[in-house]
Amino acid sequence: MRWVTWENVGIDRIGCAWLILRDIDPLAEFVFIPRGAALPRDAEPFDIPGVRFSHHGGHCSFHALVEYHKLTDPILLRIARIIDEADTVQIVKLEPSACGLDLICEGLRLISPDDQSAIESGKIVYDAVYARLLQESR
Amino acid sequence: MVRQWLLLVYKIPREPTSGRVYVWRKLKQLGAIALQDAAWVLPQTSRTQEQFQWLAAEITELRGEALLWEADQIYATDPDSLRLRFVEPVEAEYREILAALKGKDRDLAALSKRFQDVQVRDYFASELGRQTRKKLLAAGGGACS
Repeated sequence: MRWVTWENVGIDRIGCAWLILRDIDPLAEFVFIPRGAALPRDAEPFDIPGVRFSHHGGHCSFHALVEYHKLTDPILLRIARIIDEADTVQIVKLEPSACGLDLICEGLRLISPDDQSAIESGKIVYDAVYARLLQESR
Repeated sequence: MVRQWLLLVYKIPREPTSGRVYVWRKLKQLGAIALQDAAWVLPQTSRTQEQFQWLAAEITELRGEALLWEADQIYATDPDSLRLRFVEPVEAEYREILAALKGKDRDLAALSKRFQDVQVRDYFASELGRQTRKKLLAAGGGACS
């Protein structure tokens, strides 16, 4: 399936792409369009205001993907919380790693020639975060 | 000084009041300023654009209406006054941290946490912020100060 999002990916979209490939659609292809551009018809949009897989109820798009696909892995919920705290304005903050992961993802986009490369490099970052949180939960 | 701003104008149903308070608290946390009780303004950065965009989406979800603009300021009675309205409250907070640092029973962990919160709203990289950071590091003691 084709998935579409706006250019210049950051923590939420890099995380979404990782989650989509890992748990939702291993053959996913990603299309990046300019902010505000018309959505292609044959692609599922994510992290674009107003679409199904975007921010809802103060939660990030990653959270929307986890919830819609009924993923119950607590590590994914924890990652959703980290992205919530990095990407949205939260009054309650419980995840100190949120700022660090945000910084790394912004940096990833800066050193990547394009969005596709940024989400590819982002996989190792999110794999690492997942592994570390899994170890902590045991 | 040429500077780009983001303007958010919104309307939200009076009831439930929780929705109104929720949005207002988020605006405060971002350090947004209400201009003439009409538009909320933030300096434009990729981060503030993202934050305002999602807040606008949340307002829509709360059955409100939101409009978000990028704006060039082309006239102001005092060109620097808008910048100062962001700088002044931030510097007041830094001064409070500096004053608390002089206290006997200062809570360094709480003050550092507060410093981080203020940093988010310090859109113009205040010199006082740099000084506060130095003082906090020095107060922490040890070789890395």
